[in-house]
Amino acid sequence: MILQRRLALAWAFIVCLLIGHNAWLWLGQRITPDTDILALLPLEKRDPVLQQSFTHMVDSAQQRVVVLVGARQWSAAGQAADAYRQVLAPHGELLRFDAMGDDTQAGWLASLQPHATLLVGSAQERQLRDEPARFWADAALARLYNAFSGPKLGAFRDDPFGLFAGWAQERAGETPVRPRDGRLFVAGEGREYVLLTYTLQQSAFSLGAQNAVVPLLEQAKAAARSAAPDAEVITAGVILHAAAAGRQASREIHTIGVGSLIGIVLLTWLTFRSVKPIGLILLAIGVGFLGALSVCWLLFGQIHLLTLVFGASLIGVAQDYGIYFLCHRLRAAPAVDSPSLLLRLLPGLGFTLLAAVIGYLGLALTPFPGLRHMAVFSALGLVFAWLTVVCWFPSLISSDTLTAGPLAQRYRGLVRHWPRLSGTPVSIGLVLLLAAAAIGGWLQLTANDDIRSLQSSPPALIQDQIKLSKLLDAPSPVQYFLVRGASSEQVLQREEALKRRLDSLTPDRHIAGYQALSNWVPSVRAQAARSALVEDKLLRADGPLALLAAEIEEDPQWVMDSAAHLRAQAKPMLVDDFLRTPAAEPWRHLWLGAIDDRGHQTHASIVALRGLRYASLPVLAGAADGIDGVQWVDKVGGISAVLGSYRATMGWVVLGAYAVVFAVLFPRYRGRTWRVLAPTAAASIITVALLGFGGQHLQLFHVLALMLLLGVGVDYGIFMQEESDGDDAPWLAVGLSAASTILSFGLLALSGTPALQAFGLTMLLGTALVWLFAPCFAVSRKVIHATPD
Amino acid sequence: MKRILAIVVLSLAAAGAHAAAPVARIQAMLAKPDQLCGRFDQVKRLAGMKKPLASHGRFCVVAGKGVLWRTLKPFPNTLRLTRDEIVHLQGERVAMRLEASQEPTVRMINGVLFSLLAGDLGQLDSLFDVDGSIKGDSWKVSLKAKSAALARAVGAISLEGGAYVRSIQMSEESGDRTEIVFSEIKTGPGAVLPEEAAQL
Repeated sequence: MILQRRLALAWAFIVCLLIGHNAWLWLGQRITPDTDILALLPLEKRDPVLQQSFTHMVDSAQQRVVVLVGARQWSAAGQAADAYRQVLAPHGELLRFDAMGDDTQAGWLASLQPHATLLVGSAQERQLRDEPARFWADAALARLYNAFSGPKLGAFRDDPFGLFAGWAQERAGETPVRPRDGRLFVAGEGREYVLLTYTLQQSAFSLGAQNAVVPLLEQAKAAARSAAPDAEVITAGVILHAAAAGRQASREIHTIGVGSLIGIVLLTWLTFRSVKPIGLILLAIGVGFLGALSVCWLLFGQIHLLTLVFGASLIGVAQDYGIYFLCHRLRAAPAVDSPSLLLRLLPGLGFTLLAAVIGYLGLALTPFPGLRHMAVFSALGLVFAWLTVVCWFPSLISSDTLTAGPLAQRYRGLVRHWPRLSGTPVSIGLVLLLAAAAIGGWLQLTANDDIRSLQSSPPALIQDQIKLSKLLDAPSPVQYFLVRGASSEQVLQREEALKRRLDSLTPDRHIAGYQALSNWVPSVRAQAARSALVEDKLLRADGPLALLAAEIEEDPQWVMDSAAHLRAQAKPMLVDDFLRTPAAEPWRHLWLGAIDDRGHQTHASIVALRGLRYASLPVLAGAADGIDGVQWVDKVGGISAVLGSYRATMGWVVLGAYAVVFAVLFPRYRGRTWRVLAPTAAASIITVALLGFGGQHLQLFHVLALMLLLGVGVDYGIFMQEESDGDDAPWLAVGLSAASTILSFGLLALSGTPALQAFGLTMLLGTALVWLFAPCFAVSRKVIHATPD
Repeated sequence: MKRILAIVVLSLAAAGAHAAAPVARIQAMLAKPDQLCGRFDQVKRLAGMKKPLASHGRFCVVAGKGVLWRTLKPFPNTLRLTRDEIVHLQGERVAMRLEASQEPTVRMINGVLFSLLAGDLGQLDSLFDVDGSIKGDSWKVSLKAKSAALARAVGAISLEGGAYVRSIQMSEESGDRTEIVFSEIKTGPGAVLPEEAAQL
């Protein structure tokens, strides 16, 4: 008794510390849960260059908010865009408008002028090889005499053959966006759009930024629509998806958490006809939650919103300890005092905690940081809830606190008529039938690890995204070629080799085009070859310039001067020079430059693809075969592959966990150990079969749920095998726990997040089946005593 | 037409009645026929060349269709600008074709050129600062590009005319200059020659 009081006091001190720490965190530090969905994905540490390319591509996209404001008339689109900008203008500290300076427009080609003669488009480079001098003289004459001879840059003598103009046209063709009246202009689907881009000044995943930015964008959209009634506003940005995911998660925290609590409160009331057990179980769960949060924050310095969502389901397991104790108290003789009752129950309680913690810690073996947090959070929550039950419940519940409610009365009779597994032909026949059905279900099972099937963004957001990327013809940020080399020259040469392959894919419409830095800065080798070609075909003393001079009656001196003028514009261009010019601004993210790759220096770049078709991915994956240093990167496919391999690994982890739990339980249960695990194992097998019949595609989150099911189901197995004084207390505890677990996890099956939904559905089916199966494997007292210890 | 008027009214409001009044009056002086053809004589003076380059030919501006610009001497070549494309023919051969679906600025370029040849100052207002003066039955207008990028591409433009545009002068920042004089202007259904109608 004295020990019990000391324990209770010590635990009260710890709980006070937890409350203090939580108050300080939430009220003092004002912590907000992390909503970065990417935090749930594994860190790919193996290849620093690949990792760098991801951050390059993602960083340049993640913080952007891209807006298209369109109308039938350009002037209306302009007015709507101005109205849009006006709303956002006072909020520069949140969203910075990416103004495209007029000077940048004028200056971007000027900065390339010293290299103009070396810049020739690919079509014209072919013509240079094939066409005779007369062709080029005619081309120059046409440009000479025509008043409006198409695109023209600088004076006639700077580009007499229109090669630089053709090259600039080819580069402009890499994006449909054009400057127009000081705005950026895109046309499509009968509308003219103004393109506005903003850069977020805070992380797209910061909850504060989301709460501030999303309503502002809505407000701006409304302003644009009222400025021009037919205005269409298309918005895209990672922040919108993150905000939608965050909204969904916090909505679900409410429905799942609240629904779960209401269910448990009702059940407890109907069983014990008292408010006190409800308060006590809530107390245990509350301490578990606070404790898990405190320690997780101390360990990781952050908490993910999804960890909290998952933590809400902790209620389903944390209640078991309290329920187990309460059910026994209800059935125990009044003469037995609570501390000695607890002492009797302690071994069983200890083993349930051990098994559940092992179940949750299996999640920590996954490479997903988010899941690891969930595992630690859940295991800690269970430990804290368990300690609350052990330290406080005996003092709080005395022998006369509880009376059986209507549910407890009716339910107790059920177990007596429950079928038991035995050696009778009927029993064996039923088992064989179930086994056959299970095999049938397993054969129907297919797996799908596609990460995109885990996405749950609202359809409107996805439609906007699709429309926007179609109008802007933007390259894919997750599929591209990564090019490496020992020097930047080697990288550029390899890019050029890759581009020759890609050029052969454009006619079949596998891709619409590509963006590469070598489009702007050819390799030194290509520049030298082109210089020789221009010299040979255009600048020779008896070449097109001489023919042209004859036509326009200029003297040989003019020919020499013109050739010299063009040669003066053939200054070799280096990547670093180009990157310093304003023309490089939109392309800088393609150049990774020098990267330290595990001790030695590597140069790397990205070749991005436009108009990529999903069906063409296999073709592209093989496009670079045989070119040294060129790697096809498909981040979506890569993550899906990781999910797949971990689904397989986790399958083995589940089997391993069964073995470990068996080993842990064996010293206590000996020959009956299999009876503890059998209900859970049978339930898992049939659950998977049911998933197969239901047409579900097996994925990692189904397997993770099976892992958790082991933790929960073993509780019930232990309860049923633990010795009790011939009453139905274990059966009542199993029923109460399973019903609440189904309520909490069953609500997860309603989640809009596909991962949680898969998880919930598996838990729903599995827990229900364990509940049904558990009594089948129970044995009578005589058998227990007959078993040698 | 309503839209053009609206833009003119707006530009009046923006620039102040004093400066913009001539532009509005010049607009009123222009005949703006649906079909307009005539002869052009062009002289180019290019940086680095001693001799000016002279050429001449015929041009047609047809409302709703586009512009046909046929250089006849010294080398026949034709430029055709319609709503959706710019085609440059060297004799029979297509030397260049720029389609609006590939190059979104095609419609803008064509709009500006059409406005220039038709003297439709209201349409140019969004791109240029328009400044005009009137003397008797003829007028003079100078256009200064509003954006530095456009200024670099086309330079300064001045137009002279009466009921029709009589001449255009363009002087680019690079030093190249072009002067075009229009004559023998015909309007109405008979203005467009059959071979020109076939090309437009």
